[in-house]
Order: sequence, then structure tokens, then C-alpha cells
Amino acid sequence: MKNIIETKKLCKTFSNGGIQQHVLKNIDLEIYEGDFTIIMGASGAGKSTLLYSLSGMDKPTLGSVSFDGTEITKMSTDELAIFRRSNCGFVFQQVYLVESMSVLDNIMAAGLLVYRDKKVLAKKAGEILKAVDIDEPLWGKFPAQISGGEAQRVGIARALINDPKLVFADEPTGALNSQTGKAVLDTLTKFNEKGQSIVMVTHDITSARRGNRILYVKDGEIAGECKLGKYVTGDKERHQKLNDFLAKMGW
Amino acid sequence: MNKALLLTKSNLRKNRGTSIGLFLLMLIATSLIGVSLLIFFDCYPTVRKTAERLNSGDGFLQIYGGVDGFTDEKIDEIIGSETDDYYIYRNLSYRNLPLTFGEGKVITGFVCVDDSSAFSREMNRFEVVNEDTSITENYIYLPFQFNTSGGFETGDTFEFEYTGKKHSYTVRGFVDCIYGGCNNTGCFELLLDDESFEKLWDEAHDANENIVIIYDLKEGVNLGHFNINTTSEFLKINPYAQVFSDTLDSVVSNRTFIGLIIAVSILVLTSLIVVAVAMMLANCISNYIQENMKTLGALKAIGYTGRDIKASLVIWFMSLACVSSLIGIFVSYLFMPLFAGIMIGQMGLSYSVSFNAMATLIPFGYVVLFTLIVTLIASGKISKIQPIVALREGIESHNFKKNHVALDKTSMSLNMSLAMKTFFGNMKQNVITFFVVGFMVFACIISLLMYENFSRKPKLDILTTELCAGVVACDLETKDEMRDYLESRNDITNVREIINLDFYYNDEVKLFSYVVKDTSKMNNKSLCYKGRLPGHDNEVAVSGAFAKAYGFEIGDEIKLDYGDNSYNYLITGFIQTTNNAGREALLTYEAADHVIGTDNIPGWFWFDMVDEDEDFNANADTLETILDDIKEDYGDHIVGTMNFYEMIGGSMTTFKSISAMMLILMITISVIVIALILFLLIKSLIYHKRKDYGIYKALGYTSGSLMLQTALSFMPAVIASIIVFSIGSYYGANPYMSTFMRAFGLMKCRFDIPVAGVVIIGVGLAIVSFVLAILQTRRIKKIEAYNMLIAD
Repeated sequence: MKNIIETKKLCKTFSNGGIQQHVLKNIDLEIYEGDFTIIMGASGAGKSTLLYSLSGMDKPTLGSVSFDGTEITKMSTDELAIFRRSNCGFVFQQVYLVESMSVLDNIMAAGLLVYRDKKVLAKKAGEILKAVDIDEPLWGKFPAQISGGEAQRVGIARALINDPKLVFADEPTGALNSQTGKAVLDTLTKFNEKGQSIVMVTHDITSARRGNRILYVKDGEIAGECKLGKYVTGDKERHQKLNDFLAKMGW
Repeated sequence: MNKALLLTKSNLRKNRGTSIGLFLLMLIATSLIGVSLLIFFDCYPTVRKTAERLNSGDGFLQIYGGVDGFTDEKIDEIIGSETDDYYIYRNLSYRNLPLTFGEGKVITGFVCVDDSSAFSREMNRFEVVNEDTSITENYIYLPFQFNTSGGFETGDTFEFEYTGKKHSYTVRGFVDCIYGGCNNTGCFELLLDDESFEKLWDEAHDANENIVIIYDLKEGVNLGHFNINTTSEFLKINPYAQVFSDTLDSVVSNRTFIGLIIAVSILVLTSLIVVAVAMMLANCISNYIQENMKTLGALKAIGYTGRDIKASLVIWFMSLACVSSLIGIFVSYLFMPLFAGIMIGQMGLSYSVSFNAMATLIPFGYVVLFTLIVTLIASGKISKIQPIVALREGIESHNFKKNHVALDKTSMSLNMSLAMKTFFGNMKQNVITFFVVGFMVFACIISLLMYENFSRKPKLDILTTELCAGVVACDLETKDEMRDYLESRNDITNVREIINLDFYYNDEVKLFSYVVKDTSKMNNKSLCYKGRLPGHDNEVAVSGAFAKAYGFEIGDEIKLDYGDNSYNYLITGFIQTTNNAGREALLTYEAADHVIGTDNIPGWFWFDMVDEDEDFNANADTLETILDDIKEDYGDHIVGTMNFYEMIGGSMTTFKSISAMMLILMITISVIVIALILFLLIKSLIYHKRKDYGIYKALGYTSGSLMLQTALSFMPAVIASIIVFSIGSYYGANPYMSTFMRAFGLMKCRFDIPVAGVVIIGVGLAIVSFVLAILQTRRIKKIEAYNMLIAD
């Protein structure tokens, strides 16, 4: 299977008042195309830091990250921004839609960075919004006028508008109730089934079950890995395997 | 109060940029108010203080042309009973003598020449400003204005030519003198060493002896009446005598009006800056409340009252106002010598900046008071904040009325579309930008007007009643022949007869009058701003300032006196002039014949040049050749000549430097004010939108793109403001100038405003605003998407 991301000796250290905290320690890792990769770990283990280091949102202190064969750790801030446009999609826990823009404009603002033809883009945005179950009457609404679940699905639509090679999701259901959270996970799963590669950070087992590869981060290192195969609803054997892996990791 | 102080300290720490921006704006406003008030309260009264020190009395009378019979006893008989004190001295005087000054020559009504007794005489003394005592013979002291504006230094050679004879002296120094020290007052007084004076006296006193009487009137004596009666009595002693009079008030006004124009201009600019500061202050307080809503809720929840929080804001902004205005006042004293230099150039008197309580206290009190008022009004809503609402982030950051510039429909580029979204989402920012930029456009266009009309292409019709190339005055004997001769010359044209006579109204108001043979030949078409020029023998046009002061309307009758004669004239129009304190009249020869026999008046011929050049100096040279030619043909019959181009060259020297400096000053201050306002607005905008910028960066927007969007979002307000205020200023500048130029006699201004200049200012300010906005959006570079994510 082709890898999209490959890290070598990835380190991230934060300094605060002269005290150094090594959040990521010499991580060698590969993320594969088509996978729904889950990064799990306890709070403060470094899973979000790893996610943002992999996506070029944050710069590692040492080591390298290659994205589809291109080393992104040497890129400048602006080069990384341009790189992210068509390679990465992001789904955040707090959604982070632009409050002063309508739902459709939030999608268009991301899409216009890659697409020049507004008509083509608007059509595509409509299709993606429909695919994440955001119907047309909501397109003209502002983020504050829609529910949290709807907003997160708009966030997913925004992440997907430029056909990214990889979608990074940071606890996308963390701020949602179980019902709306499930709808968001269903949406992500649906796109993964269509071939979209996803890396998702979560500390929720229900969310983690959606992945086919689980990475467990402990004290800044990849403590273990579990391969589950594609998600199937009600697959108890699969769930058990994950529970066993997490128990082994000390979850 | 301790609670409020704690909050103030915290606010100052957290809002350093805002505090610095407001501090600088207040400092600029205070220092400009300080400068204009120093001109009003310190520099301007210098003339009066100097007059008092030199004992210049209430005015002077001057007798020339025929001084026989004017003994001190006779003069005492006439003026003794009406004066507390008077002083008579005799010197030489030359009428319309061109003197080298600045870039050209200056011609005043008289040039008086004194000896060293002028330093010690009882009244109207001279006082040395600077001198080179190593020069011990054949020297001259010049009025100080020859040093400040006229380009002379001690040791230079000073020459003047009279009836073909050149007199040459070494400049020993410069003096302060009240009545004869400024080219606006119609008289220059020069002082020679006693030996040189004696030599000149021997040569010239027959034709040029001059008696000067400086007087201090008794209380209750009317100055106008005194001058008229005295003149009339003097003419009884010697009917051939010419009598000229002027008052201290008139001289003070003539020496200071440019200074007052500058002071008023600076005050107007300052008032606009003060409005801008008030808007920014209110905006900062409003932003503070929005940005700190949760904190304010928490403070209220733990027991802080609205009054405590408001007190902290009052202390915060009042401390800024107090410190900035104190430093601003200091800055105004620091910069005052620069303005003083220009004032001195125009006043022609030495002046050194000294402490002035009014000019110090008013700017301080004004800035502090308006800061207090604006802060109290703008912070009013703090009292209404409910803690629980505030803790829930009770203020909406966006209203959802309309999705401006829908990205799927707009034809604009992405950056422009997002800039327009920001623009429509920040109407408060747009309103402030619109007015601040607009005020600055207005200030710059007013300065452009002054520069264009006083410096680049001097608007001569406001400085002089009639425009011409030159004047030739001849004796009565050759008057008719001279007219024919001048009309026959191919190098001059439009020969017309105009003489100046002093008419009086109501025995007290002197009207410097132009008696014109044919008014249709006059060049100054702006002269009569209302009604028409007189055409018949019973008509007169009077200056608007005079008409306003004495309640005359067009169609009214006015009785004018000349000597013992008087006649009732019909007012046909109002003329405007900055000369003679706005007291002028114009009538035809036929009209003047009712009170004076114009046939007996020597010939005064005004004319234009056929081939006029754009260059003043070239015209001056050509005309000089023509005048020399005329003098050669008529020799001693020529009483006097005037080269208008030379005269204007000298007179304009002072105006040029002032107006050029005003333009530079206004543009500089405008750019600084716009920069500070944009700094505060952009800082606040970036703070409000920092999360959005983080999102944009996460999506793949570069810092450059976001900076461009932000800077562009200000441009619609900037451009709209520039267009609206440029057009408004273009059409409104003349009415605006008229309102405050009325005080100087100019009732209806018709100044030229070059469209190209307006466009350059507009485009320049738009470009500068954009560049400043881009520079100030650089802080967007510091915003990182990752920081936005971990902040929550």
C-alpha cells in the first residue's frame, strides 16, 4: 500500500520558562493511502501535536515529514499554506467556521484557493454539502444559525472541497452529543469508504472503532499499533480486538 | 479608587498599542493647538509690546512735498490740545522708491531715511536687532524684514537709485521699527550713519524733506477726526503740502494678518484632528467593551460596580490625555521657533518665544476635558451590562442581516471578495476612515489652494486692487503728451489713468480710493464681487469690509469727503481688498471731480506689457528696459515709475515661504494622522478577526494574501472619502476661505484650485493609505493557525 506520509525521527519540544517538554520523541511513522488512521492516547500524550506536525500546521523541532514524497518540514510558512490548499483537509473539534460567512461561502472560501471556475466550484460545493446532509435551505445561513452537528458536517464539507490527499480530523465529535457525533462519524466513514484517506485524533473508543488502523501515542512515542480492517457496523470481534489493544496500552 | 487603579494598570499593560496610538494623536492635536495659540497670544501681541517699548504712540502724520511754514510751534498749535504727547522729527522721504528685496524689488509708499538720532528719539525709536559694529563708515541699518525675508546680511552692499543717482551703503545691522519696518505697512525706514545722512540731506532735502509727527492722543479724542482735522489744518499752512497719516492699529493689523491666517488654518486643521481623536477614542472604548465582555462580566460578578470600571477607563484615558497634552505643549514650544521664523519674516519684528499661560493652559484643558467627556459618554453602556449576559459573551460579533458579496456569485477576485466582506462587516471602521481621510483631504486641498495662489501662481488680484505691468507718473505739464506717447508705443498696451486719493467717510474713516478714468479698462475682474463698478459721475464702489462694518448696501447713498469738499455718491458695487485694512473705494475721474479738480492732478498712467512672459523675472527685466526708455525720453518730467513685476517679486517672497511650508506641514500631519488612525483601526480589526485569520491560514491562505485582503477592505472607505471630500473641497474651499478671509477684507474668494493638484493629492493619499495599511497588517504574519487551535 502506498504511503502518503512518512516521518523520520520526528521530535517536538516546547520550552516554557527554561523548562523543556519533549512532546514527540523520535517518531518514525507512515500513513497509508485509503486508510482511516486513528491516533489515540491519553490527554497530553502528544496526539494532537503529532497530527498538526504531520499536516504541516506545526513545525517539528527535529526530524522530517514527507508528504507524498515531498519533504514539508523545510517549507516556509507560506509554502506550507499553499501546500495545504490541495493536499490537506482539516476538521477541528471547535469546527472553526468563519462566523461572518454563510455556510456556502465557508466552503467557497476554501475551494476558491484551488478552483478558478466559480460555477464549477459552486456546483461541487453543493454536491458535497448534500453529501454531508446539509440541504440547500441551510447554505445561506451563518454558522451561528445552525446546530453544532450541522456546523461540523459543514466543516467536513469544507475539508473535502479541494479533494485533499488526506483529511486530518482533530476530535471532530469532541464537542458534540452522541447522536450528532455519530452522524459526523458516519459522514467521515462514508467518504473513507469512497477512498478518502483520513487521520483522526480521538480519545473516544466509539470514534476510534471507525478506523482501520489505530496508533496509540504514549509519552510522545508511538506505543503500539492495531490493524482492524474496514469498519463494519456491529462487528463485535473487531470491537473486542480494539478493546484488547487499548487495554494492553493501559487505556 | 484602588480597584479602579488596579484595572487601569491592567488596561494600560494589555492595550499598549492602542494607548500609544491615542497618545500620539492627542499629542499632535495639543501641539498644533499650542502653536496656533502661541501665535495668537504671544507672537501676535509682540507687535504691540514692541510698539509700547519703542513708544510708537497711537499713530503718525507725515508731511512732505511742501514743508515750508511747518514750524514746531505751528504744529503744536494744531495738535497740542488733542494729544497727551507728541514728537516731531525731520528726515528724508522718497515716494515709490524700489528697494531690492528677496527675489525682486519692493515698492512701498514711502522710504524714509533717518540719522542715528532715531535710536534715541523720544517716540518711535529704532532698536538694533543685530549689527556688525566693525563697520564704521558709510553704513546703513535696514528694517529687520530685510534680514528675515529680504535676503540681506550685515556687510552686504545695499543700493537704491533715485532720479538716476545710485546710493550705495554697507549694511551694518537690522532694526526693529514700528511704522516703517514691513512691506505691508506702506513704509520703510532706513537709518544712515550721521555723515552719510548729512551728505544725502544736502543733496535731497529740497525735494524730499519729510516731517514726521508721532502722537499719543488724549482719551476721548477720535482718531479719524483727529487725522482729518489735522490734515485740513496742515493744508491751511501750506496748500502744496502732502499729508499722509496712519494709525498704530492699522499698522499692527497689516503686520500680523498673514500670521493670523496661519494660526486660523492650523486651528481648523487641529479641530478636524480633534474630531478624529474623539471618534477614535469612542471607537477604542467600544472595542474595549466588546473585547473584554467576559472579563467585565466576571468583574461585575465578583463585586466591581459599573462606576469602578468606568473610573478605570477615565483614569486610563485621562492619564493619556494629561501626559500627551503636557508633552504636546512642550512640543509646541519646541516647534514654535520654526513658526516664529515665518511670523518674523512677515511681521518684520524680532521675536523670541516665551512662556504664555493662555497658550499653555487652553490646549491642556481642552484636550483633557474633551477626553473626559468622550470617555464618559462612550463608557456609558458599561453600567447596563448584566454580569451573566456578559459571561455568556453577550455581544454578537456579527449581525446576520445579509451575506454581502456571496462568493459563488461575485465576479470579483478572491482577495477582493473577501476584502469586501470585511468592508461590509465593519461599518464603524468605514465611517471613521471615511471622515478622518476626508478631513485630511480637506486640509491638504486648503493648503494646496494657499500654495497655488500665494506661491506657485500668485493670485495677484487679492494682493492689489488693480493689476498692471507698470506705472509711470509725470508732472502736470507733460500729462497729455505722456498719454499720447504711451498709447503710441508698440511694447505696451491698455494705457489707463488711475490715481490714489484718500477720501473720508463721516470725518473718521479713511478710504484709500482708486480714481479711475475708464473702469472698463481695468484688469482685475475679481475686484468687484457684488454689483458693478461705477460708470457715472455720481457712483462709487466701496470695499465690502467697510460696507459691512458701516451697514451699507448696494443702492445706498454715501457722503464722501475730500479736504473741505464732500459729495453724496450712490454705491453701485462692493470691491474686495486685503490692503488698507479693507477700507478702499473706487470711483471715476468724473465722480472725483465733484470734490477735487482732477485736471490739476499729475498724470498717473498704468499699462500692460504686450509680450508678457510666464517668468516674473523676465517680465521685470523687459519692463525695466521700457521704463528706462520712457525716462530717457521724458527725463525730469517723470515723477515716478513702478515695475509691478519687481514689486510683486519682493512682496511675494514672504507669502511663498509660508504657503509652501503650510502645504508640507499639512500633508505631513495628514499622513501621520491617517497612519495613526489606520494603526488603531487595523490593530483592532486584526484582534477581532484573529480567529478568522487562523482559520484562513489553516485552509491555505498565505499571510500576504490576508494582508492584502485586510488593506483592501479599507480602500472603499478611503477612496469614497477622497472622491467625496475632494469634490466637496474643490467646490467648498472658496466659500470656506471667504468666511475667514472676510476678516482681512477678502469677501468672496475666487482662488484657483488646480484639478491636477487635487488629483495628485487624492491619488497620493489613496496610495499612501494603502501602503500604510499594508505595513500595519504585517502583524497578521505573526498569527499562526496552530496557535488559534491550541488557544481554545
